[in-house]
Amino acid sequence: MNKLKILFVIFLGILCFSACEKDDICTEDDTPQLVIRFYDALNPTEFKDVQNLIVWGVLPTGGKDTIANIALDSIVLPLRVDETSTTFAFSRQLSIDDINVDTLTFNYDVKEIYKSRACGYIANFENLTATVKQDDSVWVQTIDVDNALIENTASAHVKIFH
Amino acid sequence: MLRYFTSLFFFLVVAVGFSQSEPIDLNKKDTTVYKQRYGLRVGVDLSRIVNSFFDEDYTGLEFVGDYRLTQNLYLAAELGNEKKTIGTPLGAEVDSEGGDLYTFTTSGSYIKLGIDYNTYGNWYGEQNMIYIGGRYAFSTFSQELDAYKIFDSSRYWNPDDFASGTEALGKYEGRNKSWLEFVAGLKAEVLRNIYIGASARLGILITNKRPEGILDDLFIPGFNRVTDGSRFGVGYNVSLSYLIPLYKKKNEPKKEKVQPEPESRPEPEDRPRRQ
Repeated sequence: MNKLKILFVIFLGILCFSACEKDDICTEDDTPQLVIRFYDALNPTEFKDVQNLIVWGVLPTGGKDTIANIALDSIVLPLRVDETSTTFAFSRQLSIDDINVDTLTFNYDVKEIYKSRACGYIANFENLTATVKQDDSVWVQTIDVDNALIENTASAHVKIFH
Repeated sequence: MLRYFTSLFFFLVVAVGFSQSEPIDLNKKDTTVYKQRYGLRVGVDLSRIVNSFFDEDYTGLEFVGDYRLTQNLYLAAELGNEKKTIGTPLGAEVDSEGGDLYTFTTSGSYIKLGIDYNTYGNWYGEQNMIYIGGRYAFSTFSQELDAYKIFDSSRYWNPDDFASGTEALGKYEGRNKSWLEFVAGLKAEVLRNIYIGASARLGILITNKRPEGILDDLFIPGFNRVTDGSRFGVGYNVSLSYLIPLYKKKNEPKKEKVQPEPESRPEPEDRPRRQ
């Protein structure tokens, strides 16, 4: 009888604390972004800065805000999860008058993945391909898709030689 | 020869005297016995009915039943069906503009089988219970994803809200889970044969295989909310039940080892026949 009372108290204790759980705030998972690194076209193993690199997203209706970037030899770009292609404008400015804007389009498949109760669904991108819109002057010489599957931002997915 | 017969006569008289040595019992034993009701108790969970009435995202019904085996031991079972729509906001307190991060509906049935053990010593005439018990529970259900958004901390393309997804929408059939449940509760007889009871339940999932990349079992009928990284779930019920009395039986005290004298058992004819 006494043992049963103890059991009952333990049970009530478990019941009280079982309501505690880790916060339902998504911190562990996120939709990964596209990582691009810029290399020297003449010396393909060396990184090469793009002078005054400015990148912004392009919609059929027009351009969007500039994407903040710290380094000049790499950039992290958000891909659209509700479309299968995203277009960016890459602007290189060598001098005040010499501004060259290239338009790059990335095509991919969106794979929606359930992660956890807090995060719900995120997207990964598969079968990534990249094309440059050819115009009079193109500063991007070669685009090399290094990793066609974007599931994290740990390493570069695309190499751009210029 | 006559002397021989006389001697034999005396011997027999002595023998008769020995056989009459049984004393007369002046303290008569109390022969009235209190017999307790045994039978099948069936009922319904009131809390699920009330919740179904007031919560538009929930419908549920649970039948409860137990069958008395011995003085303190009962076979117990619950059978239920639940349907619940759950929206998960972004963060515990944050309501995003376009609603929840994802919304899903779980619907399915469950059965719980086990025992209850009464720990309450009733006074004369009472048939109440304060009990602990265990259950094995099994639920089969489906999860339907009603709407969802793709979590993306970059708000560049969708500054106001996350983009909503379409690929994973739909019904995920054939989900099932089983768990063990620890029960503590009470039942009180409020009118003759009518009981009101309440119980709290702690469930521990046995099979906790989580599907990779597709919607998880975030709610299990009968088990309630499933938490990430935990096998535990809690629940409760409030039951109203009716005892169908089948037969009556006296509570037999435990035999003491000092007195090996067999107790007088009630004759089988004394028991009313089972219905």
